[in-house]
Amino acid sequence: MTKNTKLNSEDPGYQYQSGMTRRDSLKLLAALAASTMLPLLAGCEKPAGSAAPVVPAAAAKTGEHWPDLQLTPVGGKGYGKDPNLILPPKSPWPLTMTAAQLTLLAIVADILIPRDGQVPAASQVNVPAVVDEWISAPYERQQQDRPVILSALAWLDDEASMRYQAVFAKLTPAQRLTIIDDIAYHNEQTPQQFKRIASAFSHLRGLVVAAFFATPEGTKDIGYVGNVPIAGDYPGPTPEAYAHLSKVLAELGLSEFAYKA
Amino acid sequence: MSNFEAEVLVVGSGAGGAMAAYELTKAGRKVLLLEAGRDYDPKAETPMFKRNGEAPLMGAGNSDKDFGFYDATVDGGWQVPDEPYTSAENSEFLWWRARMLGGRTNHWGRYSLRFSEHDFKGKSRDGLGADWPFEYNDLAPWYDKTEALVGVCGTNTGLDDMPPSSEGVLQPPPLPRIPELLVAAAAKKFGIPTAPMHRAVLTRPLDNRAACFYATPCGHGCSIGAAFQTTTSLIPMAKATGNLQVLTDAMVKSVDVDDKGNVTGVSYIDKKTATEHKLTAKVVILAASACESARLLLNSKSAKHPTGLANSSGQVGKNLMDSTGTGLGAMVPALQGRPIYNEDGHTANHLFIPWWGHQAQAKKELKFPRGYHFELGGRFSEPGANIDTSLQGYGKELKQQVKNKYGAYVYFALRGEMVPNEHCYMDIDPSVKDKWGIPVPRFHWKWSEHELNQVAHGLQTAKAILTEMGATVGDLPKAEDAILKGGQIIHEVGTTRMGASPKDSVTNQWGQTWDCPNLFVMDAGVFASNPHKNCTLTIMTLAMRNSAWLAEQLAVGSLMAAVTPLIAEGAV
Repeated sequence: MTKNTKLNSEDPGYQYQSGMTRRDSLKLLAALAASTMLPLLAGCEKPAGSAAPVVPAAAAKTGEHWPDLQLTPVGGKGYGKDPNLILPPKSPWPLTMTAAQLTLLAIVADILIPRDGQVPAASQVNVPAVVDEWISAPYERQQQDRPVILSALAWLDDEASMRYQAVFAKLTPAQRLTIIDDIAYHNEQTPQQFKRIASAFSHLRGLVVAAFFATPEGTKDIGYVGNVPIAGDYPGPTPEAYAHLSKVLAELGLSEFAYKA
Repeated sequence: MSNFEAEVLVVGSGAGGAMAAYELTKAGRKVLLLEAGRDYDPKAETPMFKRNGEAPLMGAGNSDKDFGFYDATVDGGWQVPDEPYTSAENSEFLWWRARMLGGRTNHWGRYSLRFSEHDFKGKSRDGLGADWPFEYNDLAPWYDKTEALVGVCGTNTGLDDMPPSSEGVLQPPPLPRIPELLVAAAAKKFGIPTAPMHRAVLTRPLDNRAACFYATPCGHGCSIGAAFQTTTSLIPMAKATGNLQVLTDAMVKSVDVDDKGNVTGVSYIDKKTATEHKLTAKVVILAASACESARLLLNSKSAKHPTGLANSSGQVGKNLMDSTGTGLGAMVPALQGRPIYNEDGHTANHLFIPWWGHQAQAKKELKFPRGYHFELGGRFSEPGANIDTSLQGYGKELKQQVKNKYGAYVYFALRGEMVPNEHCYMDIDPSVKDKWGIPVPRFHWKWSEHELNQVAHGLQTAKAILTEMGATVGDLPKAEDAILKGGQIIHEVGTTRMGASPKDSVTNQWGQTWDCPNLFVMDAGVFASNPHKNCTLTIMTLAMRNSAWLAEQLAVGSLMAAVTPLIAEGAV
């Protein structure tokens, strides 16, 4: 799990560290160092929030803006058509997110999925690392997601700078939520200037949610109880599940059509 | 192999090839089985109990592993490196291959429904396509034998689309799940039946294979042998006779003939050394998959067989069929927040909807001639890379949405019978060769009104049932947009069809090519039509029956006696 025992993602100055082994961390540090020297390899030439956001002239009135990321395709190959399925490759391609991007992502992930009683927050179960692996993967779908996710993150810093003259990570939790509240609902009521970011944010949220529930803690939290061996016949639904079905069939007027083996 | 004189060469180790090898070795015949892919050991290589979160990209599929990281397919999928195929202009066809011992049986869906007399005699009924050259009753005992050997769970339903197995053949099916029971009730209101799916999954131990323990998706492969694949059953059983040798990484390039046109053996590329070799034997059986076997025949041209081997009818590569496919799903509010329990079961359909429209078609009430079935999806499945962009908000409210939706989405997958047409076939691309120098298939494809009308009917039916379940379903897509691409259901058949006459078919009812008595085809290429019920059980049943017949011919010497005189007559 996370080594961030002192700080949580609500605190200013928080830095995300993924819960990888020390060997993996050293590799990542080396990769990050290399990416600082060679921005082209990093894939993102514009450090998030460091330059003025692009505000299209027509959109100036509405406050709409969108980061002008110059992304180059990721390097690296896929894991091939015959990977070891028993011991899956841990980090099959170079990761590309910067430390600042990972920290921002961790903060956002924890707003989406905060600690919930005994259930950890998203950053505590490596969700940012999974998202990094996703958008760094050299496959078509992931490369379509990459600009969407990185733009959403850069937009958050841009918006934070415009509202509070600081990057998102430096804001107080309350300040962060003023921004999130504006973009976290993507529907017909979403104001024009937030439509594009709300759509991108939906994508980021979907990815974070998937990454969280795919962890052992998330899988337990959603209630999945399968993938364990059962001796003898498959037991089928529980009495509670059958009772619920009976109620549903009655409400839908389908009781007389109930299945009989 | 120095001491091993093979009488029979079998090309391909999947459903047809492994069954042929099993039946022939059991009958005492020496068989050499050639597989284009690598050796594969499901006991050591199957990722049992592995979780999506342990895999790269949460197990999501991509161009390396189309059906997800853990899918058993090795070195295959929609594309095989260095082994391309092409599509003709305005055609799109997808061709799934696996390059591994056991072929596609390592990952298949294991749905195992019998074809019926109705299915075998479509042309007699509606004038379309071709009849099969035998009666259902000829095949029924072989279905029994195959089901008993393979291990199929299910029940005899008495429905006209599901011919019964003999007493004691089927293993008991697992209990239905809640979403399937809700679909069953809603469907019944329309008079549409549901039935336990028949699957090649053991619910009772068989030979040295364990019964299913209801965990780990079958598509990952099954190290305990509960979900049938040839690598845990037929191939080891055939090896145990002492009569089988297996050659992997052996890509067969052509079937060889002598000056008189008699089949003498095959040429293959040893992929490890990239060298070409020849093998000779009395009999050659092609079971490399419908399109791979047709490719081999078309690439095996000689003076005596100028249009390709066994192609005097001109039918090799023609009559290419897949199943039709489409799907419709919806969130079912009544299933939201329902009590959670373990719904893995045998990880696929426990209930499905068989085709119920024979009578309506007889009365000409439907605008399409052939039937379909629905496979039902929706359960408490293991979380993975399911990226839901319709979620709203954050925090507790967000989590509650996810939990409400969990196990509440129901999906209908249509699989239907297509009618062969002149626009659907494969030939050899005149300019493209694979890495081994072998000319590659070129696919031609066009769905007809029969398939589009069928898909439209299926979408309307699924919508009606979902609506009855309380779901809100939006406008339906047009059938031409909703129908999946040719090949996408991976039920490609028909390219070396069997028939009653050498004029319009490639083989007789035994899979024996009309032109070459010692050359057989035992994959789905021999299908005269493509009933909606998933092809693998019938591939295996035909391979068992036809190999048993071949073994009888070899025992009495009639087959080899036929070879030279027949060809000699032709040569006069």
